[in-house]
Amino acid sequence: MSLESPAHHANHAARRTMLRRLAWAVTLVVAIALLVFGAGRDTGPLTQQDRIDAITKRIACPTCDGESVYVSRAAAAQAIRAEIARQVGDGLKTDDEIVAFVADRFGGQVLLVPSGRGLEALVWVLPVALAVVLVAGLLVSVNRGAVGSSRPSRRRKLVITMVIAVVVGTGVGVLVARQSGQRLPLQTATGGIEDSTASLLSQARLAGPTDVKSAIDLYGRVLETDPDNVEALTYRAWLIMLSARQFDESLRKQAYATTIASLGRAIELDPAYPDAMCFLGIVVFRDGGDAASAKEFLDRCIERNPPAEVRGLVESLRTEVEAALGD
Amino acid sequence: MKFARLSAVATAVVLAAMIVVFIVSDGDTDVGTRSPLLGQPAPAIVTTTIDEQPFDLGRRKGSWVVLNFFNSTCVPCIAEHPSLVKFVSAESARPDGAEFYTVVNDDSDSAIRDFFSANGGNWPKLRDADGAIAVAFGVAKVPETWIIDPNGFVRLRILGAVADGVLEAQLADLRAREG
Repeated sequence: MSLESPAHHANHAARRTMLRRLAWAVTLVVAIALLVFGAGRDTGPLTQQDRIDAITKRIACPTCDGESVYVSRAAAAQAIRAEIARQVGDGLKTDDEIVAFVADRFGGQVLLVPSGRGLEALVWVLPVALAVVLVAGLLVSVNRGAVGSSRPSRRRKLVITMVIAVVVGTGVGVLVARQSGQRLPLQTATGGIEDSTASLLSQARLAGPTDVKSAIDLYGRVLETDPDNVEALTYRAWLIMLSARQFDESLRKQAYATTIASLGRAIELDPAYPDAMCFLGIVVFRDGGDAASAKEFLDRCIERNPPAEVRGLVESLRTEVEAALGD
Repeated sequence: MKFARLSAVATAVVLAAMIVVFIVSDGDTDVGTRSPLLGQPAPAIVTTTIDEQPFDLGRRKGSWVVLNFFNSTCVPCIAEHPSLVKFVSAESARPDGAEFYTVVNDDSDSAIRDFFSANGGNWPKLRDADGAIAVAFGVAKVPETWIIDPNGFVRLRILGAVADGVLEAQLADLRAREG
């Protein structure tokens, strides 16, 4: 025999009815949201031009008000469109990566579609969460008269319902934000290039003066992926020769041969590169003792307009070379 | 009553937070402008000058490089030109003088030639026919001036016209920091 009163039964039934309705309401909201976003999604670009159009529609012209790069005729917009066309043509980046590149260079304000992450995601999350909370509130107010429970109990139910609605609404909103928000896979300034050739070369240059061994290793890593990289060939050879000067004759000879071969290869690959010619002149004079050849290489080096650091090395050496030739 | 007290406390907390933000923020009074490229390897530039000479930024490592994005019809570009001429003249007298390049932005070779023959400035002018260099550096409006260190890292971005002595002071500061 049950000890529960008829009023308790009625209360329990009313609570189950309300929860059932709430579940249906949430299901309906989620289904409508998915339907809207599913129907709104296009089937993807068919040609490269479609891709270019789709990407340029996602980016604002940085010099005009309220125009996308797709519609704007401003010079900056045209330059961005040309860059997007080039990157699409290369076929190496996804649409999101190309958008991220442009946003990285011009700032997040050029993104026409708000991001699905961070503070900007609130643009997506808040309306959805608010809609779910409003629906839940509506259901609760409709059911208030039907539920024959005490006032504190009603208040507790209201709070629980609202907490559930907020959690569910936020969850759905986050899903919507992830689905529809701007996705930017590249967040580093130069596109995640930690191991790229440019980054390795820059790291090698930074290490060079103080940590020759690391610099040689870094140039070696560049040559593993790009054996014809002229800068790596030149500077690796130069640093090997500089560090070999402290060792015995046989090691110096070995390093000299390697250095001459590498610098020769660099000059063959890019005859206009001044640094290789300059270092060849220095090495041939300092380590090979051949002033006549050194003079020829150093003259060619100066003709090629070397950067200031290398020019400084060469100009101080030229007088020594000329003096040696005069003797 | 309880609500009023809570509101007062919340307002006080927000005001205190604002004061802290105002005190801590640096106020952006420097001539340099933010860019995600600062401290990063400079984007690759391979182009030609308007005199048909090849140019590769990667080959200029070992020198300080100053890039000035320019258009001959832009008023601030014209206004800053005498300052740039003075800067280049002073730098070319130094053994480690910075290399200065104009990056032509949406302008014709002939207009650039006419401008420089009338106003001076005997330095290389780089073509940027489809705006690839401007996009790589995130340049939307000219003038803009960028400084790249001898290791190839971007060190400074200046938006708008530079006044007399500004580039000299900024480069001296960067050189001092470089050691």
